[in-house]
Amino acid sequence: MVKVYSFESCPWCNKLKKYLTSRGVEYEVRDIELDEEAAKECQKISGDLTVPVTTVDGKNYVLGFDKAKIDALLGI
Amino acid sequence: MSIYDFTVKTNKGVEKNLGDYKGKVLLIVNTASKCGFTPQFEELQELYKTYKDRGLEILGFPCNQFAEQDPGTAEEIQSFCKLNYGVTFQIFEKGDVRGETAQPLFKYLTAQKGFKGFDKSHPIAEKLEEALKKNFPEYLEGDGIKWNFTKFLIDKNGNVVERFEPTTTPKSIAADIEKLL
Repeated sequence: MVKVYSFESCPWCNKLKKYLTSRGVEYEVRDIELDEEAAKECQKISGDLTVPVTTVDGKNYVLGFDKAKIDALLGI
Repeated sequence: MSIYDFTVKTNKGVEKNLGDYKGKVLLIVNTASKCGFTPQFEELQELYKTYKDRGLEILGFPCNQFAEQDPGTAEEIQSFCKLNYGVTFQIFEKGDVRGETAQPLFKYLTAQKGFKGFDKSHPIAEKLEEALKKNFPEYLEGDGIKWNFTKFLIDKNGNVVERFEPTTTPKSIAADIEKLL
């Protein structure tokens, strides 16, 4: 499952989510503002609370809305 | 008319009369949704920590008018946002800061201190100006707020003494603040 670490008022997160939907990718939203557990996970993956962070395995991740890198990560 | 005549709402919806800040040095800033110029958030927090005991208050006014507009090409901008934990200065309700729909406070501030150009030595100054010229030329006209993190410095008597553009980092105005404390 693709996980997207994000928060509501983050425009880049919203752009990323729209993009994934448009490519037919299902994903789980992990809100780092509302969910402390999600914040901890995000911190562990990338070392910071900057988002969006997209990951499948919790190890390899893409920070930011970078289409090329996201396509490569997800193989789409 | 003075700064102390304005009443605004905090981000918790509580009305706040700026007269409550009489005797304090104020830095009024239009903030953004934690994207792009994010380091300024952290630097503002640093300023606040350093000077709050000596009478500095920072008032942040979130505004979406510039939030999704990018001052550069895809490589130049950072396409991510940082969750803003740890900011302890007062944040107010989201609202407009430029144009007809601007909050009265910002109409007043920009009337008191007009636009005098960007600080060209800031790494983003040139890109910001070019992007504005290309996409929002009307933003460059007049004294309205040009971009996120425009800062107004108010002395202890409510006088608007200085305006700093987004291209002036919070750190670099520490000396101006000290003079007023």
